[in-house]
Amino acid sequence: MDLNTSTIFNESSSVSPTEDGMAANQLSLEAEFSRYLPHLSKMSEQLKQTSQQIETAVMDVCGSFQGIAERAMATVSRGKSFLRDGDPGNNSQPSFESLIQQCSQTLVHVLNTTKESGEVSSRAIERIKLMDAASQKISSAIRELEAISSGNKIMALNARIEAAHAGEIGAGFAVVAVEVAEQTERSQKVTDRVKDMVSELRNLAGSTLQDLQQMNLRDLAQVEECRRDVDEALYGLQSAHAEMKNMMTQMSRDGELLVADIGSAVRGMQFQDRVSQRIAHVVHDLETLKSRLSNCPVNSNNNEIANNDGFSSYTMLEEREVAGIADEEQGAGEVVLF
Amino acid sequence: MKKILIVDDSNSMRQMVSFTLRQGGFDVIEAEHGQDALNKLAAATVDMIITDLNMPVMDGITLIQNVRKIPAMKLKPILMLTTEGLATKKEEGRAAGATGWIVKPFDPEKLLQTVAKVLP
Repeated sequence: MDLNTSTIFNESSSVSPTEDGMAANQLSLEAEFSRYLPHLSKMSEQLKQTSQQIETAVMDVCGSFQGIAERAMATVSRGKSFLRDGDPGNNSQPSFESLIQQCSQTLVHVLNTTKESGEVSSRAIERIKLMDAASQKISSAIRELEAISSGNKIMALNARIEAAHAGEIGAGFAVVAVEVAEQTERSQKVTDRVKDMVSELRNLAGSTLQDLQQMNLRDLAQVEECRRDVDEALYGLQSAHAEMKNMMTQMSRDGELLVADIGSAVRGMQFQDRVSQRIAHVVHDLETLKSRLSNCPVNSNNNEIANNDGFSSYTMLEEREVAGIADEEQGAGEVVLF
Repeated sequence: MKKILIVDDSNSMRQMVSFTLRQGGFDVIEAEHGQDALNKLAAATVDMIITDLNMPVMDGITLIQNVRKIPAMKLKPILMLTTEGLATKKEEGRAAGATGWIVKPFDPEKLLQTVAKVLP
């Protein structure tokens, strides 16, 4: 076979377009490769920073939750301590409930004592009434004595008259009559004194009776009024206490729910740890890939040409800084007024 | 109050585990990796360790192997708290002397129940 050049060339030229195309493709690929290889390290840096930002955010949220939970628990604890419901072993101070109970018991004791006093007064009144009835009987007896005394006086007078009629024979009889008259007079005086004393006693008993009855009525009315007032106050205290207790129970329940909610949130927030680890794994692979590709012979061109290429989707200052394309621009949180 | 050492290279994980344990009434100290934990153990006595598996400087398995050489820590419970769930890894942990293995994410209530179960 004549291997003339032209044939060869012809043959060659018939093949050349394909080889040229492949070479051109290879060059194009090398160019692309060279342009984007540096992106790998920047992409891994983007991922690392993203992971750190998520971690910082999660830690902030977790810190806030911790504060909320601690305050909720402290509120519940203070409430329980105030009511002494959550710490029955603590006897250093009486509970609100026991104070009310003590107050109620004291009131019952005062009412019972006052009632007993009223009963004693009532019994005294009854006895004074009996004494008055006895005095009335004494007065009646005195009236009988007065009638007897009066009869004796008349009898003594008649005896003296009869003795005068009898003359000397009746002289002795007259002496007896005079003596009887004197004794009757003395008896009358004693009777009068007893009568006065009985009258004084009855007056005294009457006024004492009146005082006792008035006192009794007044005491009963005051005790009744006092009982109503204290009852109302105790009822108010009990209602307030019950309401507070309900409130504290509710707060305690809310606090427990809050802690449980925070527990769920803590569980949910651990996504960050998993995401961070997955990002770290991807970053590791990217860095390995970059290391291997860097040693590839095709990577011989100047990489700097890629620095401004391929980052069009980055909008935040931090990611543009990592990509090395940051310009004078506004950072997160900065405010500019036009 | 019982003291627990938490070992994890993730700040947020340490914070969350620490928060959960403090709510449960435990005292907590933290270390960033295995070597940091060994340094802390040289200065303080703890009742229990909860450690991550993959950490820089010293991983969880190596930490457990070293901790079990400390006489005071021979019988203390050590829980692994990790995203790793492979049976072969678990077996490595058990062989090193771990008391238990929890796969992240953890449930705070379950973590406290587990701690209560293994802590004498």
